[in-house]
Amino acid sequence: MDLNQFKKILTRVFLLPVVALLVTAAVMYWQNRSANATVELIQQSDARISQTNLVMRLIVDQESGLRGYQTTGDERFLQPYLEAEQELPQEFIDLQDTSVTETQRQSVELLREAQQTWHHSFAKALIATIRAGGHTNDIELNLRGKAQVDAIRAQAEGIVQRAEKRRSDRISEWQRQVRNSIYGVITIALIAGILIGLYVRSQLHQVAQAYRSSLEDLHRRAEEVFQSEQQLRTTLDSIGDGVITCDAQGRVAMMNPVAVELTRWPLLEAQGRPLQEVFHIVNERSREVVENPVEKVKRLNRIVDLANHTALIRPDGTEIQIADSAAPIRDHKGIIAGIVMVFRDVTLARRTQEALLANEKLAVAGRLAATIAHEIHNPLDSVSNLLYLMRSGCSAEESVRFMEMAEQELARVTQISRAMLGLYRESNAPVPVDLKEMLEEILLLMERRIVDLGVTVTTHLPENVVIEGFPAELRQVFSNLITNAAEATGKGGVVTVIVLPQMANRGAGQKTESGAAVLITDNGPGISPDVQANLFQPFFTTKGEHGTGLGLWVSRGIINKHAGNISFTSDMSPTSHGTQVSVFLANKPVINAGGD
Amino acid sequence: MSQSPHLVLCVDDEQVGLRVRKILLERAGYKVLTALDGVSGLELFATQPIEAVILDYSMPGMHGGEVAQRMRLAKPHVPILLLSAYVGLPGEVTSLVDLYMTKGEGPPVLLHKLGTLLPPSDAS
Repeated sequence: MDLNQFKKILTRVFLLPVVALLVTAAVMYWQNRSANATVELIQQSDARISQTNLVMRLIVDQESGLRGYQTTGDERFLQPYLEAEQELPQEFIDLQDTSVTETQRQSVELLREAQQTWHHSFAKALIATIRAGGHTNDIELNLRGKAQVDAIRAQAEGIVQRAEKRRSDRISEWQRQVRNSIYGVITIALIAGILIGLYVRSQLHQVAQAYRSSLEDLHRRAEEVFQSEQQLRTTLDSIGDGVITCDAQGRVAMMNPVAVELTRWPLLEAQGRPLQEVFHIVNERSREVVENPVEKVKRLNRIVDLANHTALIRPDGTEIQIADSAAPIRDHKGIIAGIVMVFRDVTLARRTQEALLANEKLAVAGRLAATIAHEIHNPLDSVSNLLYLMRSGCSAEESVRFMEMAEQELARVTQISRAMLGLYRESNAPVPVDLKEMLEEILLLMERRIVDLGVTVTTHLPENVVIEGFPAELRQVFSNLITNAAEATGKGGVVTVIVLPQMANRGAGQKTESGAAVLITDNGPGISPDVQANLFQPFFTTKGEHGTGLGLWVSRGIINKHAGNISFTSDMSPTSHGTQVSVFLANKPVINAGGD
Repeated sequence: MSQSPHLVLCVDDEQVGLRVRKILLERAGYKVLTALDGVSGLELFATQPIEAVILDYSMPGMHGGEVAQRMRLAKPHVPILLLSAYVGLPGEVTSLVDLYMTKGEGPPVLLHKLGTLLPPSDAS
């Protein structure tokens, strides 16, 4: 049930009694009206009765006056008779006015005629006789007069009786009406009450049901919210990374157990404190305080990652290296309501990474060691054989020849050992590196291995292409790449090493530094796309036990450090298969120390 | 020097080393044939009455292991001495040959070991 339905019900429940009462009022009004009409009829009857009584009184007055006059002969007694004679015609008209039915009119007419009869045939005659001095005590005459008056009286009484009968009929009618109207009102009230009651009950039932279902809904949602909160809490508690949430003002709201452990701040103590107090981070190298992640997120309004080499200083003064990111928490309007920070201890990972880098250097050295041993053993063998021959006696001519040969072989050893030293000569600042010189030295060291693999190497190395860099690291990169190319092509394959000087491009489009590209191309089977996707991942190798899976990962790190780039293009088609690695190195790179 | 010097085949891609080894062995009383790669070495091995082989391991085209395997198939009784600049060659290679030694151990060791592979009566 929605709010509109609820409002509708409210309106209905409000309107229904009003309508019912209006109907009741209308019924009562109608009842009242007919009762009023009855009362009017009663009043009519009353008026007829009293008018008849009035007429009768006047007639009685006339008769009394006439009798007084008859007895005394004094005109003064005739006064009431005369007055009544004056008034009666009008009073008869009035009485006739109260008549409604023809019968009533006739009875009034009969009364008037009876009175006229008495008046003319008896009263007037009697008065005239008296005035003439005649005798009026004739019994016959008087009996006739009495009979006439009796007739009048009887007539009048008839009218009154009938009127009273009507009146009492009307009164009982009125009483019936009143009773009926009471019954009617009671009935209507009862019916309306029951109907309203039932209706309201059904509507309220609906509302109650809706209320109950919303209550249940609410309960269920509350339960769900509780469950999901519980789940979230469990998730946060089980997460291996530290999680801190802050409100929009940057005060700590929540920390998971890992965050508590990493920051060494008890949750209750940390809550409500500014983030930078609990999460005190500095740049590991410069020791400068890192910008508060809360401010940074608010400023940039997006997820931010911490810079490399961030250290978290804990209350006891110890510190750990961390990696972290901070993300805004937005409310439903998209306004930042807080910040969530996720961070982890990378101290061990950093150390592991450093160990891996060292390991890869060792692996490169190890791979070269066999070659180097071979390269040195061969001339050494010749030299020791020559010395043995010379010691065991030889001609002067032979001796010269042997010495020349020995010198030749020793020169080879020197050359190799110099090339080998280059691999591990480490400098702190970039130095000029002649690419031709460096690549030739690498190829010299690898010559034996290349011959073993049955691979032919062709080169195009122009003179005086000099870039700045760390030679030992670059040697590691190129020895890696050339080894990969030679191993990929296998017996009978061809590896081409080309150096292409590149001019700076400062025009429209992509701006590039001046520098050189080293292209190492092989005609091996090519690299499948799913392998290409993983080329730079650590521990990814296609060489099984013979590879560390670190070569390209380390190489890319070194090239990134040199602000260069390394990319692969590979073709697996049957006719033109092969892979080309392109390494770009700038003449004057801005060394990116964090690149490794 | 013996009346009938042993005929030894030396296979190595190192020209200088091979030349010096030939002189050394000839002085020690052997007759020496040389080959600069496995294929020409196998040819000589097939056509000449070779009595012992001094074989280099790392060579272009065909390495010493393969050469030794083919020689064993052709003439199993001819002793082979594998002489390599590599240290720690795989077992499946060294098991093919009679003796294995690294370059640089010195000429007396080489001559001694070669001597043990050949019948002593005929040795110098």
